[in-house]
Amino acid sequence: MGKFFRTIFLVDLFQGLWVTFRNQNPKYIYTEQYPAERPEVAERYRGAPRLNINPDNGETLCIACNLCALACPETLIVVGSERNEQTRRKELTTFTYDLSRCMFCGLCEDACPVDALELTQDFELASYTRDGAIWDRQMLEEGPKPTQYKC
Amino acid sequence: MADEPKPEGGAAEPGKPAAETPKAAPPKPAAAAAGGHTPPKPPAPMASTPWEGEIPGQLKERFGDQIRECAAYLGQNFLAAKPDAVIPILEFLKLEADFDYLVDITAVDYPKRAERFDLIYILYSFARNERLRLKTMIADGAQPPTAVNVHVGANWLEREVFDMFGIQFAGHPDMRRILMPEEWEGFPLRKEMSIIQQDDRWVKENLGIESGQ
Amino acid sequence: MPDATFLDTTELVLNMGPQHPSTHGVLRVILKLDGEKVMGTECVIGYLHRGVEKIGENRTYQQFAPYVDRMDYVAAVSNGLGYCLAVEKLLNIEAPARAQVTRIILTELNRIASHLLWLGTHALDIGAITPVFYCFREREEVLKIFENYCGARLTTHAFRIGGLQYELYDGFEEQVKAFCDMFLPKVDEYEELLTNNRIWVARLKGVGILSGDECKEFGVTGPVLRAAGVKWDLRRAQPYSGYEQYDFEIPTGENGDTYDRYMVRMQEMRQSVRIIRQAVDKIPTGPIGKTPKVIKPATGEVYVSIEAPKGELGYFVVSDNSTQPYRVRVRPPSFVNLQALDRMVRGGLVADVVAIIGTLDIVLGEVDR
Repeated sequence: MGKFFRTIFLVDLFQGLWVTFRNQNPKYIYTEQYPAERPEVAERYRGAPRLNINPDNGETLCIACNLCALACPETLIVVGSERNEQTRRKELTTFTYDLSRCMFCGLCEDACPVDALELTQDFELASYTRDGAIWDRQMLEEGPKPTQYKC
Repeated sequence: MADEPKPEGGAAEPGKPAAETPKAAPPKPAAAAAGGHTPPKPPAPMASTPWEGEIPGQLKERFGDQIRECAAYLGQNFLAAKPDAVIPILEFLKLEADFDYLVDITAVDYPKRAERFDLIYILYSFARNERLRLKTMIADGAQPPTAVNVHVGANWLEREVFDMFGIQFAGHPDMRRILMPEEWEGFPLRKEMSIIQQDDRWVKENLGIESGQ
Repeated sequence: MPDATFLDTTELVLNMGPQHPSTHGVLRVILKLDGEKVMGTECVIGYLHRGVEKIGENRTYQQFAPYVDRMDYVAAVSNGLGYCLAVEKLLNIEAPARAQVTRIILTELNRIASHLLWLGTHALDIGAITPVFYCFREREEVLKIFENYCGARLTTHAFRIGGLQYELYDGFEEQVKAFCDMFLPKVDEYEELLTNNRIWVARLKGVGILSGDECKEFGVTGPVLRAAGVKWDLRRAQPYSGYEQYDFEIPTGENGDTYDRYMVRMQEMRQSVRIIRQAVDKIPTGPIGKTPKVIKPATGEVYVSIEAPKGELGYFVVSDNSTQPYRVRVRPPSFVNLQALDRMVRGGLVADVVAIIGTLDIVLGEVDR
């Protein structure tokens, strides 16, 4: 009998409509209006790589130990270094990071003993050419400069 | 994993490029700068302990010297059998010991061994809540009988083993490639198939440049 | 085969996929039809084959961990857990208690995320457009927890062999608890939309029946097996990572049809919340485990499996005492479950094929690897 009335009065239909109606409330808006609204990215976000610079003297923190290149599953990091004859130390010359093959697993930053290589919160990595995805040392130190749109 | 390094093992594959052997002769094909160098001495065999109990007893009684080994490694039971006995053992385990769920069929390639492939059946029993691995060694080109008549689910699993290792299962209803394209040459999970080599070839053919890997 | 309800026609072969929105990826099903009736099917898979097992042989144990996330990308955390457990078993080590509890919380959150994605897309296939938006909204909350915890949303690489890489962030417990409180009423809301909906019931009841024995025959596991009335869950049958300490039920169905599978998954989401609530309250203090710098297990082989959202996910790892696995075999639940598709759709209608593919909850990344 109950089932009969539920069928006659379309109870299940109105029940469903009531759910959708409840969710119409503007305070439940969930969509982010990117790029007008910047998304909040987590602190630990693994995005664009960055080669950190010592803020005191402007020199790179990288000691050219090559551990990141060894840790990388895709072997996309190439570290170039040469020995400084005066200090008898290895110094970083070039650093290439192929973002097109990167899967942002974070193994390189885990491997870095001096926190020089870091995956940052930058996530706008698109470029017009394939070569644009291969970052050299300068790009890694300065960070990406995505186009800013006015909205 | 009875270790029987027979010298003629590598020569069992005449069609394969000999130039690749220095790269692939140790278990690892060139891993670039990934830091994995193989130890110079051959690795010690698996330190397994004998597995005693009801099932090994029954099996030994029934199949005799067809069962080569009943052992356990890290608490996981496995038994090694001769290839001809595999299907009867699977049948016996299913009908009389409740191992009614065929979890997986897979293979491992040991190119230096005369009987090149380890064929592995992983079984589970709902009633006993136990796992069991059944292993057998087969030579390249041998055609082990299919398990489809015992476990229907073996169909795709055997097709995948064929696709990846080139092991033909005799009596299988539909022995075709399943994951790779039909026109693919070679069997990708064999050890002589290095990924660098395949990648190089593809890049050269399709892009006309050196891949630089 | 004369049938009163069908006209007698010649057999028609229809290609469904690989670019069909209801095949959940690049699955191609060749349907042999007699009018509307499915006489047989053939699945063509492999479009997404990336050779994960081959890659595994060419990477070190640590390096392979990010790749397993890319098989079942909807439940990446479960994949990572299975792989870490397998290598830990091979090394004969165990993660510390704090790491284990954290792993359980994240894996159960991932189960919820996976089931939510399944529910949304499955309902969309059947024609109910509303749930997909609600499901993705709630799933977003789970992904935010992942993002806060490890910095990635989908392919998380959250766990490492031997424990965890990341310490829990401040406010983790609060965020997880808030999610649980928010989520349970939402499940009721989905049920209000679907469970008694007449179209939903008519499309799902009695469709794609797979009995318990048939499931065992094909090796089908997960919610599909439980919907057929077999009370089997690896978290209970062979507990790993400390699941034996938690109180939860294994929901089962009776008929093994598509509707039962829907009900089982809805219940599983509730049970996951129950596990998460228990786990969050007892996260122990202590170390989170340290990844060994060089992983070089003794020669041997292990098979370790976990209860992934789709079923039994197993890893068979062979070591030859070097830093790279000699062989990694993944036993993917989706691949094995998909094999039962033919049995389930035979004799049904074309429209049911969509419902059955949806209810199997396959991810083609895992089917093809």
